[in-house]
Amino acid sequence: MLIFRYSARELFRHPARSLLAVLGVAVACAMLLDMLMLGGGLNASFRSLLTSAGYELRVSPAGTLPFDTGATISDAAGVRASLEADPAIAGVAPVLGSNLLAEGWESPGETSLEDGPEEARGAVRLFVLGVDPEEQGLYRLTAGGAPAPGGVVIGLELAEEGVEIGDTLTLRAPASFADAGRRSGRYVVLGIAEFLYSAAGERTAAIPLSSLAELTDQPDRASLMMVRLTAGEDPDGVADRLRTEYPGLEIASIGQLVETAARRLSYFRQLAAILGTVSLIVTTLLIGTIMAISINDRYGTIAALRAIGISRRSIVSAFLVESLLLCLAASVIGLGLGLLVAGQLERILSDFPGLPSAIRFFVFEPDRLAWAAAGVLLAGVGAALVPAIRAMNAPIAATLHREEP
Amino acid sequence: MSAENGRVLVEARDVRREYRLKGDLIEAVRGISLEVGPGDFLAIVGPSGSGKSTLLHLLGAVDSPTSGAVFLDGSDVTSMSDPQRARFRLEHVGLVFQRFHLLPMLTALENVELPMAEAGLSRRERLERAEALLARVGLADRMRHRPGEISGGQRQRVAVARALANSPALLLADEPTGELDRTTSAGMLELFQSLNEDGTAIVVATHDLQLAEGARQQLKLVDGRIQA
Repeated sequence: MLIFRYSARELFRHPARSLLAVLGVAVACAMLLDMLMLGGGLNASFRSLLTSAGYELRVSPAGTLPFDTGATISDAAGVRASLEADPAIAGVAPVLGSNLLAEGWESPGETSLEDGPEEARGAVRLFVLGVDPEEQGLYRLTAGGAPAPGGVVIGLELAEEGVEIGDTLTLRAPASFADAGRRSGRYVVLGIAEFLYSAAGERTAAIPLSSLAELTDQPDRASLMMVRLTAGEDPDGVADRLRTEYPGLEIASIGQLVETAARRLSYFRQLAAILGTVSLIVTTLLIGTIMAISINDRYGTIAALRAIGISRRSIVSAFLVESLLLCLAASVIGLGLGLLVAGQLERILSDFPGLPSAIRFFVFEPDRLAWAAAGVLLAGVGAALVPAIRAMNAPIAATLHREEP
Repeated sequence: MSAENGRVLVEARDVRREYRLKGDLIEAVRGISLEVGPGDFLAIVGPSGSGKSTLLHLLGAVDSPTSGAVFLDGSDVTSMSDPQRARFRLEHVGLVFQRFHLLPMLTALENVELPMAEAGLSRRERLERAEALLARVGLADRMRHRPGEISGGQRQRVAVARALANSPALLLADEPTGELDRTTSAGMLELFQSLNEDGTAIVVATHDLQLAEGARQQLKLVDGRIQA
């Protein structure tokens, strides 16, 4: 242990050098942690978001998963009834989604040529979900009650803009729904809810499915169906079976959706892998350089220690402990820094357009911390090994000759 | 040089040491044979480059001869592996260098403890022995000081105490007074003489006439050979 005490104190011999090395490695460690959190974070977050709704399968028109309001399932009631008749299925939640225009409160107003000139008076775009209030997994009520005919549940965004329970909103199909003949309806706000899949800043609301179908002239249609399985059923197996039974529909389990998303998001993983590798290389180079300088300074002492009988193993161990202590200190700082930076980046990326705001890019998991620290420690020890072994292989007598005047 | 009571502690048999320096073959030691007994105090003298340090390293199993053999306490150290020779040096040979080579971040006590820790002594044994050794070399009041906090002469005394840590039969010193003033050198000679009287065989390579004259025997080297 005496030789390790020497290692620890040696770091304080050149405090500025040690501090710079620690800070450099800490930055690399922070980057490594962030890349590890980013690499698996999106997938984990996506899976968590999908499973939070409590429905294991998603059914949509072919080629539209995860969600596309442009295409719909026709004969939605028939498909729903057919699915509900399947013994493996416990419940089906049909969803119809559409962009509408809303007015009726002191809204900021947003104009668009495609919406027609009357929208300039103060209507705003609102993403409206048509749902079956008895069977849905898209929102969690935070106040009030579920949507009902003539009633709407609004998202937190609208609530923050001042819309309250009891207010009345006018919802109107935009000009793009020419067939709807610019239908409109007045809806009383019955409740406020947190919509699970809303993008940041997106105004969202829910009304009964039949109301939205009428408003947008899309009778008996659904954009998506969320399927709840009976206990003990294998989601992947049921999804595979249903795909053969409903060839015109896209049916996927959450696991299969996550796999698809993972393929689409492989860009992030590659980026994370490259930057993570870069941070490990930086760690290796930093520690390698610092340890090489430090060991080169002590060639004479190393030769003298070996001459008096201190074994190569003891001396190499002392250098490795030195490197380990540097990396440990750097890891403690780096992991804290990494979490801080991840938090800042998350705040920036939470406004990423088109993605549900509940999606997290940087997901904290304890094993990511352990991997980042282990990566830095291993890289540091590996880097110290090279100059240490080089010093050990230097001939003792020749080194002493060189060092002594 | 001599072997008192017939016992030989170190024996060099026709040792040669050659090495290449920038392509040139250097014959540092050219066929030297000698014996050192348990009570000897031998000073190896000679001009710079005469092979004093090389011979000292060969006698202490720090270096291997190109040819010939070195026996230390009856063991042929030239046939030992590198780890075996390291262990042998640890237990049987004490080494003192001109530049002390103490570990600057350890106290005098810890520096002396180091070879004992390597030899596997318990902390208690180490402390007791290290304190006794430092007291023996006159540094009882400097045990907790680091090398940077004591004088050159005191540092060399710490180095001597470290060399004696594992009770070696042989103490080798390469220019031990090279960095010391005349008064401090005289003190170092007294220390060596005292250690020698206590039974430690000492071989010093030195330019210091005062130190050489204080030794019991002298050996003069010129161009890697013993000069009669």
